[in-house]
Amino acid sequence: MTERPLDVLIVEDEVLLATELEFLVEEVGCHAVGLAMSSDEAKALACDLRPDLALVDVHLRDGPTGVEVARTIHDDCGGVALFMTANVKRLPDDFAGACGVIGKPYSEHGVKTALTYLTVCLREGQAPGPPPVGLELAPAYAQRWGLPGLARATG
Amino acid sequence: MTDILRSERAAEELAAEHGAGDPFAAAIRATRMAMIVTDARQPDHPIIFANNAFLALTGYHRDEVIGRNCRFLQGPDTDPAAIEKLSAAVANGEDIAIDILNYRKDGSTFWNALYLSPVRGKDSEIVYFFGSQLNVSDKKRVEFELDDTRDRLEAAVAARTADLTQALQQKTALLHEVDHRVKNNLQLISSLLLLQNRRVTDPGVKNSLRGMLERVSAIATVHRRLFQSEDVERFDVSAFVRDLVSDMMGAARRDDIKVSLDLERIDIAASKAAPLALVISELFSNALRHAFPPESMGAAMDGRAGEILVRITRQDAEFRIEIADNGVGVGNSASSGGFGLTIVQLLCQQLKARSETTPADPGTRVVVHLPVNGVHH
Repeated sequence: MTERPLDVLIVEDEVLLATELEFLVEEVGCHAVGLAMSSDEAKALACDLRPDLALVDVHLRDGPTGVEVARTIHDDCGGVALFMTANVKRLPDDFAGACGVIGKPYSEHGVKTALTYLTVCLREGQAPGPPPVGLELAPAYAQRWGLPGLARATG
Repeated sequence: MTDILRSERAAEELAAEHGAGDPFAAAIRATRMAMIVTDARQPDHPIIFANNAFLALTGYHRDEVIGRNCRFLQGPDTDPAAIEKLSAAVANGEDIAIDILNYRKDGSTFWNALYLSPVRGKDSEIVYFFGSQLNVSDKKRVEFELDDTRDRLEAAVAARTADLTQALQQKTALLHEVDHRVKNNLQLISSLLLLQNRRVTDPGVKNSLRGMLERVSAIATVHRRLFQSEDVERFDVSAFVRDLVSDMMGAARRDDIKVSLDLERIDIAASKAAPLALVISELFSNALRHAFPPESMGAAMDGRAGEILVRITRQDAEFRIEIADNGVGVGNSASSGGFGLTIVQLLCQQLKARSETTPADPGTRVVVHLPVNGVHH
């Protein structure tokens, strides 16, 4: 049985990063459904396209609005956001409803492993093991996916 | 009988008891310490004795003080709390020592270190109060000046602390901003290299791009780790190696090669993190790419499984970073295209480190000796 590929929305205002991310998303068997560069675009696309996963940068064209985008995706669009930011420490403790964060600068391999891992988590509702290097899960999602002992790592 | 008369009577009695021959009375009359005696058996405790020192201190004549309660020394700026304490001590029959602001006859003020104590008769009833007054205006002035100076200093320190706190906040914000930009720019450089690598087909160019991408990734890994610890000036090499190896092994997709890590925790200065990271990245990449050519894994390896060991230890005044493989050896491996090794040599020079490459039989062992304090002994 072949499963439907995960629909992924990319929310990133650096077009080169976004383009490369699209390649990575497709390479791990997901489907890149769209690209948003501002918070308004991101919210509109998220509620329109209903992606399974949104990769959200904190700093967008209209400022540090990524956190608010993640919250909208979680509260109103029924999707799951994943932060990709250089400022991991500045995220709110509840991750604004997002499932986790990949710290920038990330590596090609790091993003691919994280996406493969999250695909399993989202499909099975259960983590296949501890998260790979470079991916930090939000406490609420670690709990939900059966990794209750996972404290917020700092080092 | 009027109060004044009663006081005069009491004074006479006192004087009669302590006549000219009484050395104690003579001493009290002559001492430079101001002293008074009040009659505790009369209402409102009038003064019945005042020595010359008291009159000199306060500027009054004797007949202006005898028969009066000594509160005529108080004035508008006398602290009501001090007056309260004084009244309470008298009412309770206790002695008291207190500094109080008093007024002279001419209206000028002085600080009076007042000592007041009850004098009891034979049946232990309080018959007199004895008071001594010492002008401590000079001491008080110094005290006030000190208080004033201290207050000014404290205010200055508080203002300076506020300035410094604000400066620190600005500096921290700036550090975060710069850190953020460095990370984003490294990400941008990686993405550029990856994008171009997708476009080109020439294997030589692809190989060069891969090499550059690895180097940029090594620097990026440093920056991801750099401000994570409490101490922004130190860099944990072992944690970096774990990240780097996991990433390079994942990207290489060589499940036929096993990696063992034996890492003692060592911290180096943050300024050395990027060059050392590049050295380790080059050496590990070299082992990964050249020690185990896939096409010769059977024959040249004599059937043994590929293994790379990274070991970090501290020995006396130097860190020892060892990267060893059990691969085909230096002589047998395809040339790594000397650029990587040039980088290693140059950066070792910069780090004042020394690198040794020896055959490991089988394979190759490279050891980098890095002085702990920046110099070789």
